[in-house]
Amino acid sequence: MSPGPVTRWEAGLKVTGQAVFAAETPAPGLLYAVLVEAPVGCGTVLAVDAAQARRTPGFADLISYPEAQGLKPSSVTALIREPTIHFAGQPVALVVAENLAAAQAAARAVRVEAEARPAIAALGQALDQAYTPATAGRNPAESRRGDAARALAEAHLVVRRRYETAVNNHHPMEPHAVVCCWEGDRVTVHTSTQAVFGARAAIAHAFGLPAEDARVVSRFLGGGFGCKGQLWWPWMMQAMLAARRTGRPVRLELTRAQLFTLAGRRSETVQELAVGLDADGRLTAIDHQVLAQTSTHGEYADTTAGVSRWLYACPNVTTRHRLVRTNEPQPIPMRAPGTAPGTFALESALDEAAAALGIDPVDLRVRNHGDHDQEAGRPWSSKRLLECYRVGAERFGWAHRPAAGAAGDGRWRLGSGMASTFYAQHLQPSRARVRLAADASLVVQCGTQDMGNGAYTALGQMAAEALGVPMSRVTVELGDTLLPQGPISAGSQVTVSISPAVAMATAELRAILAQLAVADQASPLAGQRPEDLDFADGLVRSRTGNVAEPLADLLARQAPAGLEAEGSADLPQVQTHSFMSHGAVFVEVGVDPDLGEVRVRRVCAAFAAGRIVNPLLATSQYVGGLIGGIGMALHERTVTDLASGRILGDNFADYLIPVHADMPTFDIALVHEDDTHLPGGIKGVGMLGTAGVQAAIANAIFDAVGRRVRRLPIRIEDILGHPDPRDGFETLT
Amino acid sequence: MSGPAFSYARPADVAGALAQGARPGAAFLAGGTDLIQLWKAGLAAHAELVDISRLPLAGIDLADGELAIGALARLSDVALHPRVMAEHPLIAQAIAATASGQVRNMATVGGNLLQRTRCAYFRTQGMACNKREPGSGCGAAAGETRQAALFGASAACVATHASDLAVALTALRAELTILGPDGERRIALPDLYRLPGQTPQIDTTLAPGELIAAVQVRRAAGLAARSTYLKVRDRASFEFAVVSVAAALRLEDGAVVEARLAAGGVAPLPWRLAGAEAALIGRAPDARAFAEAAGLAVEGAQPLADNGFKVELLRRAVIRALETVGATA
Repeated sequence: MSPGPVTRWEAGLKVTGQAVFAAETPAPGLLYAVLVEAPVGCGTVLAVDAAQARRTPGFADLISYPEAQGLKPSSVTALIREPTIHFAGQPVALVVAENLAAAQAAARAVRVEAEARPAIAALGQALDQAYTPATAGRNPAESRRGDAARALAEAHLVVRRRYETAVNNHHPMEPHAVVCCWEGDRVTVHTSTQAVFGARAAIAHAFGLPAEDARVVSRFLGGGFGCKGQLWWPWMMQAMLAARRTGRPVRLELTRAQLFTLAGRRSETVQELAVGLDADGRLTAIDHQVLAQTSTHGEYADTTAGVSRWLYACPNVTTRHRLVRTNEPQPIPMRAPGTAPGTFALESALDEAAAALGIDPVDLRVRNHGDHDQEAGRPWSSKRLLECYRVGAERFGWAHRPAAGAAGDGRWRLGSGMASTFYAQHLQPSRARVRLAADASLVVQCGTQDMGNGAYTALGQMAAEALGVPMSRVTVELGDTLLPQGPISAGSQVTVSISPAVAMATAELRAILAQLAVADQASPLAGQRPEDLDFADGLVRSRTGNVAEPLADLLARQAPAGLEAEGSADLPQVQTHSFMSHGAVFVEVGVDPDLGEVRVRRVCAAFAAGRIVNPLLATSQYVGGLIGGIGMALHERTVTDLASGRILGDNFADYLIPVHADMPTFDIALVHEDDTHLPGGIKGVGMLGTAGVQAAIANAIFDAVGRRVRRLPIRIEDILGHPDPRDGFETLT
Repeated sequence: MSGPAFSYARPADVAGALAQGARPGAAFLAGGTDLIQLWKAGLAAHAELVDISRLPLAGIDLADGELAIGALARLSDVALHPRVMAEHPLIAQAIAATASGQVRNMATVGGNLLQRTRCAYFRTQGMACNKREPGSGCGAAAGETRQAALFGASAACVATHASDLAVALTALRAELTILGPDGERRIALPDLYRLPGQTPQIDTTLAPGELIAAVQVRRAAGLAARSTYLKVRDRASFEFAVVSVAAALRLEDGAVVEARLAAGGVAPLPWRLAGAEAALIGRAPDARAFAEAAGLAVEGAQPLADNGFKVELLRRAVIRALETVGATA
């Protein structure tokens, strides 16, 4: 298989409007749903009075707690079965009507009576109630190797700092939506989700259905970034209840404002970090304590301190994650969960250490390279981070950068900074089906999803390359529970997880075809050995004899009905290696020291993430990831109004994300990495770009104007240096 | 989301518009870039929208030393008008710094001047806001105050005005022609706006049914060579000013004979920096004069919890703008 820069398989469908997204699904007799939000941010719903709403023109039905009692209790159905108000903006009912305007009018007419209780509106209001959860992400919340306290006491240099990161929201371009239709006790649910099979399992459980009676379809997603999972399902299920009660299809689409409350968030973090180094710049100790927010109805913690466990060699490491429950929306993974805030802290601290020790920041990281996974005591399956440093530094011109504070361009002071990034690789079981028609066109099927990241293309490419069929002859079908079960779209796992299933299916087809060819007297390949046959360029050909024939000719004679094969891959029973992708990010910023403005001018990043299936898609993922990281570094900040508990400025005028004018030039280096321990030698790329760049920007700002900013996003006032009232946080203990 | 139902009228001429606009519950609709946002968010509920966007009030004329811009001229048409660019670059710059290309193609001059505050407490349903819901309190004063005013605020309202164009026009001493049921009147631009006091729900001095017909700028030709609009913000484009400064100078024999300064993002209306202007007259355009003027510009600022940095930012922005327009080399 040779990697190829193939353009997106579904691009034409999208730019011509033929790609149908969930909310666009046509359904005769469609009813429109609108959510009714709680009047308080913490309390209990006493009554939902729909009398006036029922009299509004076009009203069809209302679903609230009583109507949801038939659903089976679970963490997914709790918010629609139990009248407890956990956060401001939480829906307490869903109204359906003949059109959207009628549904909105009816929703406005619903009177909700609630008993209010005092809310905890911010993490800082309940520090004494911080607790250690069982897990942080998929990892233990606490870790300890060696004796960090003692090593810090004995270290040549200790950098002890607090780092803070703001709440961010995912904001895919396409909001969450559902169009659902019941036929008797069977239901078809078109919804925007990163997990069609997960959604089906939740639906089957909640509604007490056999799984095969629920079909979930999610053919195209306008982005996900982690927020199109289970936090959406309660509201999707309310719409399904309305559809079942009215006997008509129902559509619900979240508003942009609701994406601030109902879809999850990247939690704010307060990180107390101490790193100890010897005089040569070698890490002797890391103590990384993370405090983050979770909701009163769910629990989630990123593995923010994972960076301290895995990124460098260090004999003494202690990490701990703690959570505070607040009456705010529930956090969930957001692109580069844990690694984005975590690298900001550690990679900023290492920059301070490098400056204090007079060691080049790249050199400092090279000196601390971890040649195996010290936390798990396993070798890396592959790790070319050192090559990332070398390639990135060379392409950036790191060695020739101006001295700190020395470069300017008009009103801008220029500065350079760098940081490392990483992301752990995990696998999921997957199945895939490959169908070869008599005309040698190919259909590849897998019940995974394409979030806009290129799953269609990568999957089609893998099958096409294995069978020597051009991409123009490939059809890819994803996002449907009628297809063989595929992985959820999360954690940069899809391509590597699908790869062995596709390989198995295509290998079976090649074996069948080879047998047919050598046994067919009408084929020029007759009498060849099957194991000598190759599939490329639409031909079956012999590697040894100088003979070949078009695949379509062989199929027309031997398999006029086509051929089909399924592959599946389970998880390996024993994990002998640790899997990790890595990268090095180099950034040049301009800072106006008088006016406090910061603009990123140039990003050069080198990434080592196994075998790259498609360099165009991978580069696009890296650039998109870096832009998200720039947003986190300089712009994105979700603000809760402490008095009301509501999100302040829940729109794109107030929640800033980078715009075109903020785009730096990007130079992405794909560092090749052979990995014989992962299927196809493939690693994920989606998360990698969104971490590291935050610290690189902060480090570049220091290089430009000598100011350390340890809080994200970095804004004008942070450069001006006005004292900030939020600095009055209590010290972690 | 969309807002409540309204009736829609598109009168054929100005007289018809004035008549229909004077009806209770009526509001004028021009580019719609602000009003439709407010309506969709449920923050504006007018019984009737009177569409004036096609009325013949969109001309841009320069004659006898006066620039006259019809209130319905699109922002992009003004900013790209060759003579506006050449003779009134301050106006062109302020518009170029406004919103996005798409918005500028729709938004009108009059609508821009009349846009409502971007205060998030005003723009977010359910928040306490005396401007949106008189008597509900000011959530901003005790809440997130980064955006809040340094000057001219009251206990009832700390919101700022967001127009860039209004700041430039204030510096240029623009006047407005206002049409109403009782005929035509002409006012200085700052007199369009009122300080919030105890009635922040009333943004302007326009009577019901009154319409801005045109903006006039006179005797500004001497300022064209030395003028600038400086907009400070967290991202490079499509964001309202954290602080902005419009500055223009006219020099004769190495001394300032005319000085124009106004600031945005710091007050409920475009904020003329009269003391700073006066302090520059007769002075050489040097660092000391600029620092003194900038010091006067921030005199009387009343910062709240999160916006104290804007005092220093405004001071520095005034200096930067004056350095830009005062360079003699």
